[in-house]
Amino acid sequence: MTLTQFVAKQAFRNKRRTGMTIISIGVSLLLLTLMMTVWRAFYIDQGAPEAALRVVTRHRVSLAFFLPGSYRNKIRSVPGVVNVVPMSWFGGQYKDDKPENFFAQFGTDPAEAVKVYGEWNIPPEQQQAWIRDRAGALVGKKLAEKHGWKIGDKIILKGTIFPVDLNLTIRAITDADDAADALYFNYSYVEEAVGWAKGQDGMFAVRVDSADDVPVVSKAIDDMFRNSPTPTKTESEKAFQLGFIAMMGNVKAFILGISMAVVFAILLVSGNTMAMSIRERIREVAVLKTMGFTRRDVLTLFIGEGVAVSLIGGLAGVALANVLVHGVANSPAGGMMRGLSVTPGTLVVALTVAAFVGLVSAFVPAYRASDLGIAEGLRHLG
Amino acid sequence: MATSELMQETAVRTKVVEAIHISKIFSRDTFEVRALDDVSIDFYEGDFVALMGPSGSGKTSLLNMIAAIDRPTHGQMRVLGENIFAFNDQEAAQWRNRVIGYIFQTFNLIPVLTAAENVELPLLLTRLNKQQRREHVETALKLVGLGDRMTHLPKQLSGGQEQRVAIARAIVTDPKILLADEPTGDLDSHSATEVLEILKMLNEDFGKTIVMVTHDPHAASYAHVTRHLEKGMLLRL
Repeated sequence: MTLTQFVAKQAFRNKRRTGMTIISIGVSLLLLTLMMTVWRAFYIDQGAPEAALRVVTRHRVSLAFFLPGSYRNKIRSVPGVVNVVPMSWFGGQYKDDKPENFFAQFGTDPAEAVKVYGEWNIPPEQQQAWIRDRAGALVGKKLAEKHGWKIGDKIILKGTIFPVDLNLTIRAITDADDAADALYFNYSYVEEAVGWAKGQDGMFAVRVDSADDVPVVSKAIDDMFRNSPTPTKTESEKAFQLGFIAMMGNVKAFILGISMAVVFAILLVSGNTMAMSIRERIREVAVLKTMGFTRRDVLTLFIGEGVAVSLIGGLAGVALANVLVHGVANSPAGGMMRGLSVTPGTLVVALTVAAFVGLVSAFVPAYRASDLGIAEGLRHLG
Repeated sequence: MATSELMQETAVRTKVVEAIHISKIFSRDTFEVRALDDVSIDFYEGDFVALMGPSGSGKTSLLNMIAAIDRPTHGQMRVLGENIFAFNDQEAAQWRNRVIGYIFQTFNLIPVLTAAENVELPLLLTRLNKQQRREHVETALKLVGLGDRMTHLPKQLSGGQEQRVAIARAIVTDPKILLADEPTGDLDSHSATEVLEILKMLNEDFGKTIVMVTHDPHAASYAHVTRHLEKGMLLRL
């Protein structure tokens, strides 16, 4: 037997209690890992490097309002702007209104879109086919796999915002993460079919020549339209995406609140368990010290026990979170969670939290037990 | 053995424990309790001493002083020539691991460890490797007649066997002094005799100095000399 094996045996001397503690910590760490993963995806990850070169211009008041199509060329004239492409939400129905058949559909200008979204990385022949066919569509690889689409397949999108049904042909497929579950088509199809849509664009995706220029270009675009009847709001692509998240409420405070509550709750659970477990063994501590174990040895043994139990729970929670995130990120109903993954950094932080919880929860009762005199400990009836 | 003979014999033997004017006073609320009152006593190498006396007479307190588990209010204690009250906690712990084997009335085995693992515990603090530790454990358990119970948990052993495991644990580091606090207090007479025979063997065959606290005259009869304590004071021989 080694001291490590001794700690392991002591940790599991009350299997039911230790098991319940591990489950509590595991569930809490699962929640914490999920929260950290979402936090990372929303507020830390910057997406593809190309995304750092893009800004999005939309109506200052709301995304629900269109921008004049004439803005495209005006924006193009702003120093630092390389390409401008319209992006209009079509919101059509594929087959039916079941959630699993919902996906993002944007009307755009294919010829310039492929320049703004360089990371799409479309095979040249597919790219040309999409640009040439005014009823052609580009789809994300995941979306194509989900619906079994191949190049040349025809699909119908029933208009819900625009009174037109689009009869599209799949001309290109991209494996870019950002476009994994979206469809892009030539917006002129809608403009020709719906009179009031002509010259009306949902927003513009703007590519600038340098990431350093993003704030300057954004300001210049908004300044250009500040006193017009249709003022704009221009922001980085990441900020634009965060704007959607902000519509759900103060997500940042929500995630922080839950994370802090989780850590506090597991501290209480783990602390209570360790306190009970150590209190029952006061006499045993005295016996160990009688054999020659020092106060520091005892402290180390108990803290090791607390950290071990906590880490086992943490590992279980993190593993489960990994499975869950993978499942959600790849499920048809993944929505905004698409493409999420638990990063090694998140794993390390979660396990550090678990170890910290184990250490803190064991320290106080362990310190008290180790500090107790041997004679007093031997008199203890635990 | 007559007192004069004992005094003659002890004069030439090595002094193992030398307690000099030991007093231990506990303050409880407004009054004081004298657990030990100016006790001076010497134990010699190879002694098997029984400490007797009523409850609260200070027997266990004296035993705890010898093991550097407790400190006196006044007095000095030299064990194997060392002033043990000068040790700090860490030095005292390391010294106990080397010099003292302690046997409790209630065995105090760790319930989740096997007999062998319980015996091995004090060796985890030494520099012995796994193989050496295993050899020591086997030797100790065979010595107490439990070579075939190495993998048994305490709950699978009888009270007498548990106490024999506890004795094996106390002797596994080969300490010079064995301190036993009512080692037969929780045992039936048959098991008690087995335990006392083992202590006698350890004293006679291995030269261990044994100081045993007991209420039981039968247990005391195994000792070479019996000393009585009453109200914290050592009664004259």
